[in-house]
Amino acid sequence: MGSEVAVTGLGTIGPCGHGREALASALAAGKPVAAEVDRSAGLHREEGAHLAALVVERDVSRWVPPAAARRMSFPSKLAVAAARMALADAGVAGDGDGAYVGVYLATTFGSVLFTEKLLRQILLEGAEAAQPFYFSECVANAATAQLAIALGARGPNVTITQREAGPLLAVASAAQAVREGRVERALVGAVEEITPLLHALLDRFDALARPQGGLPEMPRPFDRRRNGFLAGEGATVLVLEGEDAARARDARLLARVGWSGAGFDATASVTDWGVGEVTLAAGLRAGLERAPGGAASIAAVVSGASGSRRGDLLEARVLRAAWGKSPLPPVLTPKAIVGEYGGGILAPALLALEGAPFGPVQGFTETDAEAGVQPGSSAQRAPTSRLLLTGLASGGAAAWLVLERAP
Amino acid sequence: MPGADSGSAPSRTVVVTGLGAVTAFGWGADALWRGLNSGRAAIGGFDRFDSSGYRTHVAAQVDLAEEPLRPRGKPRRVSLADRFAIASAREAAAQAGLGAGAFARTGVYFGSSTGGMLESEVFFAALLAALGGGRAPAVDLLSSQQYNGPGDAVARALGAGGPVQTISAACASGAMAIGDALRAVRCGAVEAAVAGGSDSLCRLTYGGFNSLRSVDERPCRPFRAERVGLSIGEGAAALVLEPLERARARGARPLAVAAGEAATCDAHHMTSPHPKGAGAADAMRRALADASLDADEIDFINAHGTGTPLNDAAEQAAIAAVFGDRAAEIPVTSTKALVGHLLGAAGALEAVATIMCLRAGEVHPMPDTGTPDPALQLRLVLGSPLRPERVRHALSTSLAFGGANAALVLSRFGDDARGQ
Amino acid sequence: MSDTLAIRSKIKQLLVDALHLEGLAPADIADDAPLFGEGLGLDSVDALELVVALEKEFKIRIQSHEVGKESLASVSALAAFVEGRLAAAENANAGS
Repeated sequence: MGSEVAVTGLGTIGPCGHGREALASALAAGKPVAAEVDRSAGLHREEGAHLAALVVERDVSRWVPPAAARRMSFPSKLAVAAARMALADAGVAGDGDGAYVGVYLATTFGSVLFTEKLLRQILLEGAEAAQPFYFSECVANAATAQLAIALGARGPNVTITQREAGPLLAVASAAQAVREGRVERALVGAVEEITPLLHALLDRFDALARPQGGLPEMPRPFDRRRNGFLAGEGATVLVLEGEDAARARDARLLARVGWSGAGFDATASVTDWGVGEVTLAAGLRAGLERAPGGAASIAAVVSGASGSRRGDLLEARVLRAAWGKSPLPPVLTPKAIVGEYGGGILAPALLALEGAPFGPVQGFTETDAEAGVQPGSSAQRAPTSRLLLTGLASGGAAAWLVLERAP
Repeated sequence: MPGADSGSAPSRTVVVTGLGAVTAFGWGADALWRGLNSGRAAIGGFDRFDSSGYRTHVAAQVDLAEEPLRPRGKPRRVSLADRFAIASAREAAAQAGLGAGAFARTGVYFGSSTGGMLESEVFFAALLAALGGGRAPAVDLLSSQQYNGPGDAVARALGAGGPVQTISAACASGAMAIGDALRAVRCGAVEAAVAGGSDSLCRLTYGGFNSLRSVDERPCRPFRAERVGLSIGEGAAALVLEPLERARARGARPLAVAAGEAATCDAHHMTSPHPKGAGAADAMRRALADASLDADEIDFINAHGTGTPLNDAAEQAAIAAVFGDRAAEIPVTSTKALVGHLLGAAGALEAVATIMCLRAGEVHPMPDTGTPDPALQLRLVLGSPLRPERVRHALSTSLAFGGANAALVLSRFGDDARGQ
Repeated sequence: MSDTLAIRSKIKQLLVDALHLEGLAPADIADDAPLFGEGLGLDSVDALELVVALEKEFKIRIQSHEVGKESLASVSALAAFVEGRLAAAENANAGS
């Protein structure tokens, strides 16, 4: 008990493709990986967003045999695939070695397509047309449950639904469970699917980046003319275990989980970000000061900034307030590449820790004086020592996580 | 401001100092208690939406006319599930003697299975109609659609500053949220916590469970031979949890001890429980260990008890595995027989019911319908409340869709020497 | 007789389509092979999904207590069940 917690495996499927190499290339290039969303159902506004960071290579049969995937929704398949990828990366044999495993996944919208199909049946054909296959995947914990069934994970099966803060809360929960010995190993991450309906609805909230003022549609974190985020789908799963146990089985340590913290900005409205930067920053600063070296020891921030107007502003203010008079380290903004939701920023953060280069963000052209932060880039190829990951959710929740290079 | 420590923090006794509930019996924990002892289920016809096209036509619906105070904010941006949640949280906070400004270092841990889905269904129906050539409906009805709607609404209403986290694990959400809150308070990550759950009736779950043919046309009959399915209910429950020392220091009266928790997974099947209840038994044992109690010390069980053929059998198997010879003697009740299955709020609502039983020294009954299933040797509490000789520790269990299981051990405050 | 063949054929297609039995051709499903537990190894949720598909395809109603019983055990059993329902519906219409 009280041992450090290590990340020993990473599996990721997203708009860039399957696996870390595809993601690393995209991050280095600095361009959003976006595709046209199907507008044929007539749900979209004429003048709205057209693009989303969609998973193009949807065939995950390498990781999830079709027979097993027979009744799975797309998010479930993504999650199981990413989990198997992560376990392979961690050098864990087959589907496990008898360890007591907990699963901690974050999602914002759950199984969107199946929910839509089920509702269409109930509303248009009558309740008795409802298909059991759809309903059994319509609970938010469907992917988490499928993961447990696929891998025989009998520990806590936790689905955190806290929007943009979800993935970091999931890591914190999982790490605490490992630390306290409640589980031997944890599979933790995030999954999301973006359907045409969801995309159209997010757009109707003016949440998405869209063409405006002569600028093309693109997520522009911290930019003066940012007007929304790029909706993204995908799944990322990490393997967490006690550092001692990991070393005992000669596992490669990708990272050590450091401080985690969370807060809430009660000034936020239900769909937006608020102005509670003072309270949030106090919590962040107090947390950073727990690490030896304090805020100055953070080599880079892997930020949840996505291009949303008020979200990025709040993020910038919280970071600047937390660092006070000291200059901010580089603030990386992977959501400019992979979009919002999806697997969160977990995979990009691990790559950043290993020293993967982050190219200049294509969408950023002009600093917003109000925010006063620019997306950082990093050409370095040497591993980073300590990163801060941030996740401020619309609606007010906030989460932070420190990842460190394992000694 | 909260932040997780490295697991080396001291372990505190965590007490419950406030309770709140909204159910088909009414708005408030008192209305719930009266209903639980009335001998009659609050499960019958409903009009939250038109039920005529479904295979069943009963549910446990909350009477909105009795809502004490509607929350502020634009009505279309506040869902019914939000309203239930806020009301229950306010009631719990008031009982705990906590007013405005008292929640700066309080976490909110909530559960919901559908959030603002009811309102989203109305929106979606209007959207589909508009596709034929009309104006699309305003999206503000979708504002609180997501699972975190009710939990966030509570955090906003209380002005909470602490971690805010919603779990959506189907029928285990509420119990798991309480478990999270208990651990956070115990290790000092937060000064106090508000934990609970909320769900409203909606077509998705009503139609969905009906598609699985697991809804009873009549009020459900948990553990009875005649059982054929569950009854769906709506509502919310909330609890205030804090360290005993803090409660004492500010003169708050502990209502119960949140003694232990655990969560596991069957890892077996998406809709059917493990036939031997293996994951549920594991959760019960781990919760007992977390509470530092033996199975012998449990005086009654508030079961998950949905009334579906498979669930009840699996749960009985789990009880038998954990309690051995005592399995047929420990009083067992199911709150679902009275207020229906509150899905994401169920675990929280049943924790509230369990605490009320502990305080009253009696186990609330289920309506005496049908006959106890002889294949399940359980001591069911039917018809009238039971006053066991000893009512000190209770177990509340949740066996969820997808295989997640959660167990809570709740103890009467005051009798346990360790509670002092 | 050809009606029965047509119904069996439809049922086999339905099984493959409704239950996402990819890689299985309808013709490969033997008339009398067990569908649930062993044989195709379908489970209770498959049974319910199949029932919804049958109700939609043949415009019949299947009661809850009829799900998961011998009437659904094989393609032959299903075909006989459906034929019986269709005939009953015809008689009901003829009588009214």
